[in-house]
Amino acid sequence: MNPATLIPAADPLTLPWGWFQFLLMLTFPLHLLAMNALVGTSLAALAAHLLPGPPYRRLSHELAKALPFLVAFTVNLGVAPLLFLNVLYGNLFYTSTILMGLFWLAVIPLVIIAYYLLYLYDFRFRQLGNGAMFVLLAVLALLLTVGFIFSNNMTMMIAPAGWGRWFTTPGGALLNLADPTLLPRYLHMMTGALAVGGLCVALYARIALKGDPETADAGVRLGMGLFSWLSLLQVVVGLWFLTTLSPAVLRLFMGGSGSATALLGVGLFMALAALMAGFRHQVGLAAGLTLPLLYVMAFMRDTVRTGALAPYFSLDKVPVTSQVQWSPLVLFLVTLVLGLAVIAWMLGKVATCPKEVRP
Amino acid sequence: MNYPVWFVPTFGGGLLIALVAIVHVFVSHFAVGGGLYLVLTERKALREKSAAIMAFVRKHTRFFMLLTMVFGGLTGVAIWFVISLINPAATSLLIHTFVFGWATEWVFFLVEIVALFIYFYTFGRMDDRNHQLIGWIYFGAAWLSLFLINGIIDFMLTPGDWISTHDFWSGFFNPTFWPALFFRSFMSFMLAGCYGFLTATFIEDAALRHRMIRYSGIWALASLILSLPAGWWYLSVLPAPAARLVHGASPTIARASTTGAFSLALLSGLLIALILLSPKARTRVLTALVMITAMGYLGAFEWTREAARRPFVINGVMYSNGLPVSEVSRIDQEGFLQNARWVQNKEVTPANRLEAGRELFLHQCFACHTIGGFNNDIIARTRNMSFTALRGYLATIHDKRYFMPPFAGTDAELQALAAYIAGGLNHKPLTEAAGAGGDHGKELFEANCAACHGADILKPILAGWTQEKIRTGLDRLPSLNPAMPDYTGPPVDKDALAGYLVSLNHPRPQTAAQPAPAAPAAAKGAGLFADNCTACHGLDQIKPALQGWPRAKIRTALDKLSALNPAMPDYGGTAAEKDAVADYLAQQTGGAQ
Repeated sequence: MNPATLIPAADPLTLPWGWFQFLLMLTFPLHLLAMNALVGTSLAALAAHLLPGPPYRRLSHELAKALPFLVAFTVNLGVAPLLFLNVLYGNLFYTSTILMGLFWLAVIPLVIIAYYLLYLYDFRFRQLGNGAMFVLLAVLALLLTVGFIFSNNMTMMIAPAGWGRWFTTPGGALLNLADPTLLPRYLHMMTGALAVGGLCVALYARIALKGDPETADAGVRLGMGLFSWLSLLQVVVGLWFLTTLSPAVLRLFMGGSGSATALLGVGLFMALAALMAGFRHQVGLAAGLTLPLLYVMAFMRDTVRTGALAPYFSLDKVPVTSQVQWSPLVLFLVTLVLGLAVIAWMLGKVATCPKEVRP
Repeated sequence: MNYPVWFVPTFGGGLLIALVAIVHVFVSHFAVGGGLYLVLTERKALREKSAAIMAFVRKHTRFFMLLTMVFGGLTGVAIWFVISLINPAATSLLIHTFVFGWATEWVFFLVEIVALFIYFYTFGRMDDRNHQLIGWIYFGAAWLSLFLINGIIDFMLTPGDWISTHDFWSGFFNPTFWPALFFRSFMSFMLAGCYGFLTATFIEDAALRHRMIRYSGIWALASLILSLPAGWWYLSVLPAPAARLVHGASPTIARASTTGAFSLALLSGLLIALILLSPKARTRVLTALVMITAMGYLGAFEWTREAARRPFVINGVMYSNGLPVSEVSRIDQEGFLQNARWVQNKEVTPANRLEAGRELFLHQCFACHTIGGFNNDIIARTRNMSFTALRGYLATIHDKRYFMPPFAGTDAELQALAAYIAGGLNHKPLTEAAGAGGDHGKELFEANCAACHGADILKPILAGWTQEKIRTGLDRLPSLNPAMPDYTGPPVDKDALAGYLVSLNHPRPQTAAQPAPAAPAAAKGAGLFADNCTACHGLDQIKPALQGWPRAKIRTALDKLSALNPAMPDYGGTAAEKDAVADYLAQQTGGAQ
């Protein structure tokens, strides 16, 4: 069966696709950042339990307080890019979602359980003692599983060649395991997440825990250690990922496309620079390099998607409705600006708020 | 048609959507009303300078945060996951139409999260004015989330002018937008009161516990009372077909309405009891009952709203099975399989008929019908229908039962679907008139009635009914049960149907040797009998008198009725008509030829 015949027709877009692409690429790295902080902080909290000394105890307690926030923001910041992905690639994304429906739905209970476990870790920190390690192990297992499910969906939606399996397995139990890019892509994402999460811990320790220099130092040491070694591993996994790409997609990064090749070059250069900063425990520099690097990697990921889909699907060919309506976009942008202003005002109030409860 | 189907035969997606949606609605409305409850209760604590009430607010906020932010937030995402899995075409249409509505809602979601975290974690640290302001920001953002989602949800029931204009705003501010917004707002305040009980029952100080229970009770009761006119307003703006479904034409809405009415009555009683009870009363059980009945009330509303737009997922735009209304006539011409992407059989042949039928079932019926499952099992629903009857039923399915989408496809495809359901699933022979045994009344029953109730269900109900009474009933089915559509067949068909129905309780001896009169003749006879005789006597009344009469004797008698009984006028029909009546009576009374 010709896979192209299976691809559902895309609904017409209400604005030229560039707008949605812009919003997707703007918001997706923010979700990545929050997700990385969540996964990496969970690992760092676990490691802090294993390391000796009171500063690490205090560090794990401080991380316990931060973790529930990170779940909330990971979920929230995931909604926006998923929405724009639905608009741009809904016909492909819904299809792969249906093919793996059972696993996809499992994401919800898995995240809910992880979320409640992290509240348990926060609110019952003292009672849990060393039992906390098991809670964190469970959280990590849950989150890494969720990541694996996402990697499956994101690779399956750009690989229509495997979709014909639905005719024999229509119960939503398919994964994309036969795809050679799946494993390196997943591991690349997760080692990166754990590394960047380590950097977030170091940054948090340096800024928020400076009142307790011992704990702050412990946080920076642990966080930068995780960041440096896992980033090194990520570079290796990344090169493996590159070799599993289809020849046509690989060619894009090897000079076939100027922008893709430049992205790879800039990405590698920034990664190496961040690595050096990491091993030197230069938290600020490493963070300053990593945030734009997340954007570079998101664009490389988008290049892989566009390249893999090139034989079947192109955003240029999706029709746009005859009457383009701008007012809903204006509503969103105005609300976004006002919402961010309100958030800034609220955070300002928190900053000036005393640390201690009033008598 | 455009998408594959998530196919677990015994498990229906519709039920999954309903379950996730009702759970989410129960928490997300609390997330809105609870915000107002928190700030007003905090103000009460400040005004009364009550540290105990403030401690209660703080504890309630923690519970509120754990429930709404984790469970509420993720079940909201779950609805999105589930609808894109079960009805991708409709999800795509909604997302494309309202993407910036959702994006705006996402901003409010973000503001909600930040505000709620700050509200909870700065209790007792931030100054009172700003702390309350943060609470108000939370409530404002949460209510605006409701405002946005409300527009999109109601669009599905009443798209209004959007159908012609495709304008974002006319779809958003659709005919049910305002009544639904009021109704949902009051529901959210009511739920806030109900959830207030949950934490209030854990207050240790008996006097304070009672005070907070009474306070929450007044909250809930006042909101409940205010929700009633809003609900009424909502019902009054429904378009006619939806209103008919709500007023009884849909059996599932009828069940939901009963549940809702009972829940409402019980909930009101419980709230009044909780407000008036003495502080010593055991309130935990009552509180649990309040939660259950509140869920019953809200659940019934959501169920009704979902079911009232059938047979559409987006009213007038797309059918529940994802088929765009505008495509149906083209598909009827060109064929469904030709136009479907996820099918292997592109046309129906004698060899692939069952397999093509299965694919048609998957894409057109499985959205609502399971195979052997709990929800809307297709096997149970069609058990009483023959292949012939199914073909007739499928051809007019949407006319007979408004809430079912029409079959879309060619006649050969319709036959394939009927063959799959009758033969593939129910293992019935796929021959002409199979199962009907030449009995016209039975055939009609299978084609028109058996989809909802088999003969076994009707038999006890009709015990003691005369054929005349049944025949009269067939003229006004909706008055017997609002869920039943009118039977629009000609009078002769109704007579034949009545004859069959009465035979359920009064079996007529079927002698194999007796060649049954041709069905059309008997049907004609039934019609003539109904028109000329039943004014004075139904079949039941003359059956004992005609017992054992051969057909020839009946036929002769029809020539001299007044001689049999002076009160009877002679029958002025033609010889052929008398033959038909004789055939019919002989058939009904078991008389020999």
